[in-house]
Amino acid sequence: MKEMKLFLGPQHPGMHGNASVHLFVDGDIIKRSYLLPGMLHRGFEKQMERKLWVNNIALIPRVCVPEPDINEMSFACAAEKLLKLEIPERAHWIRMIILELARISAHLMAYGGLGGPTGNYTLMYHAHVDRNLILDIFEKITGARVYHQYIVIGGVRMDLPQGIDKDIRDFLDGLESRIGEYRDLGIDSASIIKRIKDTIMLPESVVWELGVTGIGMRSATDKPYDLRKVMPYARYDQVEFDVPTSNYSDARARLDIKIKEVVQSIRIIRQCLDKMPEGEVRVKPGRGQSMRWTVPKGYVYAPVESSRGEFGYYMVSNGGTSPWRVGVRGASYPQGLLGVEKYLPGTRIDDAALWIDTMGICSPEIDR
Amino acid sequence: MSSINNIDVIDQVVLSLSKPLLKDVIDQHQVAYELEQKDVFNVLSALKLKGWKQLSYLSAVDWPNEVKFEVVYILMNWEQPSYVQIRTKIDRNQPVMPSVLAIFPGAKYYEREAHEFFGIHFPGNPEYEKPLILERWDDIPPLRKDFDPSAYSAKKFPSRTYPDSFSVKDENNKILEKKAEKRKRAQNLRTGGESS
Amino acid sequence: MISTKYTVKQSLTKEEIDRKWWEVGDYFRRNSLWLLMYCTGCCAIELPPSMTSAYDMERLGMGPMATPRQADILLVSGYLSLKTLRRLVYTYEQMSEPKYVVALGSCPINGGIYHDSHAVINQLDQYIPVDTYVAGCMPNPESVLNGFVDLMEGIKNKTANGWKKYHEHNEWYKKNQKDVLGEVAIEDEFHQ
Repeated sequence: MKEMKLFLGPQHPGMHGNASVHLFVDGDIIKRSYLLPGMLHRGFEKQMERKLWVNNIALIPRVCVPEPDINEMSFACAAEKLLKLEIPERAHWIRMIILELARISAHLMAYGGLGGPTGNYTLMYHAHVDRNLILDIFEKITGARVYHQYIVIGGVRMDLPQGIDKDIRDFLDGLESRIGEYRDLGIDSASIIKRIKDTIMLPESVVWELGVTGIGMRSATDKPYDLRKVMPYARYDQVEFDVPTSNYSDARARLDIKIKEVVQSIRIIRQCLDKMPEGEVRVKPGRGQSMRWTVPKGYVYAPVESSRGEFGYYMVSNGGTSPWRVGVRGASYPQGLLGVEKYLPGTRIDDAALWIDTMGICSPEIDR
Repeated sequence: MSSINNIDVIDQVVLSLSKPLLKDVIDQHQVAYELEQKDVFNVLSALKLKGWKQLSYLSAVDWPNEVKFEVVYILMNWEQPSYVQIRTKIDRNQPVMPSVLAIFPGAKYYEREAHEFFGIHFPGNPEYEKPLILERWDDIPPLRKDFDPSAYSAKKFPSRTYPDSFSVKDENNKILEKKAEKRKRAQNLRTGGESS
Repeated sequence: MISTKYTVKQSLTKEEIDRKWWEVGDYFRRNSLWLLMYCTGCCAIELPPSMTSAYDMERLGMGPMATPRQADILLVSGYLSLKTLRRLVYTYEQMSEPKYVVALGSCPINGGIYHDSHAVINQLDQYIPVDTYVAGCMPNPESVLNGFVDLMEGIKNKTANGWKKYHEHNEWYKKNQKDVLGEVAIEDEFHQ
């Protein structure tokens, strides 16, 4: 039979973000495929070179849309490594709370996104209601629902408001009691299990060949390769948590790891709220007017563990008032571009959208 | 294994195969070397065999004053956790850099993007000239320092014009006249009609 | 004295009958608008909260729809790069009339935070007619719902007729599209 061209285009109810997957199919089996990025390209790396170090904080959260705090954290960590700056103790703990809440909200969105390709929209509704409660907590802490601009060079912009302790604990208790419902609706539900069990497997050799990090790597190699344990940044070495792994990497195992990571994040936030010291939260990275702060010369790479893998900023500074070059290493770059090209041929058309969902491909960080 | 040994292991591998022009230890988990262009391929293969199996990032930096591009490779090892940055400078007017596709298959798309945004050629990579992110681009590669994005944007995308002296409540712009009258009345009350 | 002469009742002309049917149609149309699920930019992340039970959109009669031929509203959520604009023009011309366009965020108004970027267009009005704008970066789900209510008022007062403008000034829109895109046909390795 001849090959037919199909595209899982940018406008598709089961597609995450705005990228199209081009398929050449024979019957129901995919023969060749590749991803076409570039529809969300805004020229970030050029724009960051033209703005001052303080102005960049307004532009940076927009690089990765579902989880914007990792961008601010990587930028601040990279500049602090060049400046050799020590930030106050309380700021580290507040940063950990914000990052873990962002991780829970990104995992909920990806887990609820299973509803698009499989047609189970109830799951999506449940996940987005919980995610909306997290966005309300962010609005109380930082003032904005989605783009926070809260983690800056030198600490955190302002202290936590009164009474946020009780709000976060109430939310965490509620979420923990509903985890059973998520399992019943999603990975244990009899109608979906046929689509996700024993399909889209990811063998270990493919992981090293593509350079995949994050949940894909942990589910295929059965080792706790997580940047928070291996190279701890911001006081992750003073809290206890496990890193879930598995040695059989099909779609169901990867989604199972997502739910277990949500439970571990809840544990981390509770420990942070108990152990947080008092003190100030911000230190200025230079003297004088903020428009004239400079960062010494150097080349540094600052990685952070996001919900999809290793996310990092490569920063080059020339000693001036704006960065010389900022390069963004998107976490879904290898699994989106290379994974779709090398791995999808041989599977069926309906597995293409599930691959994009379970590997957690977020298109804005591929194009920037 | 303490990470001081990691940096020593990397040092041994790199120094046995080449002479680095610069070495920079950034913190206990990251070290950077600047090498010559001919040594890069051998050093990357040796590091991969020793355990630095993951290519995290590949890109370039533009230095127009020195008329050079600087190509950057960042490798990572999960067993002995550390990052290695390998940098090398190549000529800016005719930038050619042998591809590392044979060592790391993941470099395919990074090199395609570096060609699109800087103009560097990578012989050894069969598809590096196809555009990945931009479509029908008609100007110099955008991340070079002599490209001005706001001039391009002003030329190509017309932006919205707002009328001058736009006032919501006051269509005939009587506000200035009213202010002048108010000032005059206040002056009259203060000075009894004589100007100060 | 009442005249017993038989007077012929004035029958309605064809335009008046059309207008009355159109008003009935507008009443049903504005109370049950269906929008096309197309996430073009960053403002699309506030669409799921407004569709699901957090800020319920279905009480206004609106819901998501999968294909362009069966949808009423094209929701342009956020900025538009050149590649997306080509596909958006295709999608807009595929929709059946009457159709409405709602632009979210401040990027379609005047470029927003990306106004001096080499890949983002600055004013959506030049290429596609827009009926309602919702300002903000990014707008709250409550503002998004407010924008939809404004669109419903516009349909009631007959000011939301962007699709008619597209037909009348077709050459102007096409000339602008050609200037910016080069050519509206998509050409990449797939479409050869």
